[in-house]
Amino acid sequence: MHRRRALVLFVNSAVALIGSGLAAVLGAFALRPAAAAPGRWIKAGAVGDLTPHVPVPRVLALTRQDGWYRERARETVFLVWDGASSVHALSATCTHLGCQVRWDGDATRFRCPCHGGVFDANGQVVEGPPPRPLDRVETRVESGAVLVRL
Amino acid sequence: MSRIFDWLQSRTGYRGARHTMLDETLPPGTGWFFTLGSVLLGLLGVQSLTGAFLTLYYAPTPDHAYDSIRFIVSTMPGRLVRGLHHYGSSFIVVALVLHMVRVVMFGSYKAPREATWLSGLALMALILGFSLTGYLLPWDQRAYWATVVTINIAKLTPGAGDLVAGLLQGGAQIGALTLTRWYALHVIFLPGLLLGLIVLHIFLMRRHGISGPVKPREGEAMPFYPWQAARDTAVVSVVIVALVALAWNGAPALEGPADPSDNSYVPRPEWYFLGLFQLLKYFPGKWEVVGAMIIPGVVAVLLALLPWIDRGPARDPRRRPVVVGAFVVGLFAVATLTTLGWMDRPRPSAGGQANAGWTLRELGGRTFVQSGRCATCHAEDGLSEPLEMMPSTRGPDWLAGHVADPEMIAPGLREPPVPVGERESAAIVAYVRKLSRASYPSIDPTTQTAAAVFARHCIGCHVVDGEGGDDGPELSKIGSTRDEAFLKRLIADPESVDANAEMPSFERRLSPAELDAIAAYLANRK
Repeated sequence: MHRRRALVLFVNSAVALIGSGLAAVLGAFALRPAAAAPGRWIKAGAVGDLTPHVPVPRVLALTRQDGWYRERARETVFLVWDGASSVHALSATCTHLGCQVRWDGDATRFRCPCHGGVFDANGQVVEGPPPRPLDRVETRVESGAVLVRL
Repeated sequence: MSRIFDWLQSRTGYRGARHTMLDETLPPGTGWFFTLGSVLLGLLGVQSLTGAFLTLYYAPTPDHAYDSIRFIVSTMPGRLVRGLHHYGSSFIVVALVLHMVRVVMFGSYKAPREATWLSGLALMALILGFSLTGYLLPWDQRAYWATVVTINIAKLTPGAGDLVAGLLQGGAQIGALTLTRWYALHVIFLPGLLLGLIVLHIFLMRRHGISGPVKPREGEAMPFYPWQAARDTAVVSVVIVALVALAWNGAPALEGPADPSDNSYVPRPEWYFLGLFQLLKYFPGKWEVVGAMIIPGVVAVLLALLPWIDRGPARDPRRRPVVVGAFVVGLFAVATLTTLGWMDRPRPSAGGQANAGWTLRELGGRTFVQSGRCATCHAEDGLSEPLEMMPSTRGPDWLAGHVADPEMIAPGLREPPVPVGERESAAIVAYVRKLSRASYPSIDPTTQTAAAVFARHCIGCHVVDGEGGDDGPELSKIGSTRDEAFLKRLIADPESVDANAEMPSFERRLSPAELDAIAAYLANRK
């Protein structure tokens, strides 16, 4: 009866081992981390075209890789120049539920048309439901040209 | 814990099912040879699982199939899963043949197991159907051209050729409709049939019991679990370890994307169809149907009738010399044909290897891409990635259209069409298509310049490495008869070396650097 027990142990553990190995590989394959591409630097404008502390919207066309699918997308970013050497870019996507914010020049505020979110020129929340400031987009200035990473 | 199982037992009766599944008693002497069915079952399980998971990412359309597979193999688990599925199919064919050899040698098909045998043969046909339909799905050159051949063979079906071929092809040509059709067959219709037939096969096997050793042995009948199950598990484990080892680095690389206009591609089937492929070669012209349909058909009918051809009670192979002999001869014939088919490979042409496998036109295209308008959008900070970073799976017509009018793919791009010469366009298309399957080799500047000159001027009348017009002499080995100085004079002013030369003068059309480069390059072609 010892032999029978050894064989039962062998069969059960081998089946469990193969099964869990296969499950691990297939699980990793199914859960494949959505490896977000690092983004590419895209020319968004020239510093010379900007006014200090006034966000300027730029609609940028970009190709985005969605798995095996290459999607052509347009994305709006606001470029804000500090008047010196630094430019930062804010995403136009409201951090509440994803609507596109607009710049209200008179009030010097970003307003979200959906649920009344209001942000200041630096993207900080002033009013309404947004849980966090507008997302910053990585930016760099290269010989007068503003590049953003999307 | 035991209360949960007791509850489960009272509601489902699962212990009875477990008893039915595992406690079948086997005749004494049932040994290692009887593990092959379980190996097949295990491999089919791996194949179903990996196949099901591959559908998470695979897209069955000509535009995206190839890209989706490239995406699948871009990570380690993806490479392994595709590798397991790819090599799994070969393992299944091997296990299938071994299982069949075991059944024939042990005379296991004899009464009362004729129906088991027939269901096994149907399973074999079905599995070959899986191989055939699965082969098209990557939509690379190999897949496309193997399917062209398969559908043309189907046209030879006596009396119903067009019907069968039309049914397989789906549309007017092999394309989107063929791909979705074969995909549906591969993942819905055939698996349904397979499941049904496996259940039937196992049901019949259980109904008559395992045939056991050819001569009944004395001893105690043992239950399947764990005694035979241990042997099955041992063999299945070894097979799966071997499969994983083979699949670890993924399936063989994809070839270039399917290109119906490529007339240089020599299609070859997967190894287990090489026997049939070789057989066809012996029956040219109107006899083709003999190799494609009649011989395989006769073999299939003979196999199906085996239990009635070999009706005697004896199961020992030594007492059935005619049947076993004929079977062995048949196996030997299949093995020989497969080996011959394997050896009869097209040799890579002498040309084409000169520049790391790149033709001059492909290389020349790079120069045009870099000097032309392509870089306006295809740049590090441009609208689209540099061409070298985005291998294209588009067909030549699409690419030529895009070169002529970039707006074609991105309405609103407002990039005005720039006139591009026909030869430049052809070279750009060739370059981009080559990039889809190979990365640019490091080529010296002289060759690169010469390639652009060749692709723009010489290619109209001269052949190098099998590419070009035939109005002038081939130049692939011109360096063995002409030196650089002579070639330079000839290209600059042909009449200076031959008063009757028909070739126009290129002195004014080429820059001095270009003239030097093409003369130097050609002088080196020996």
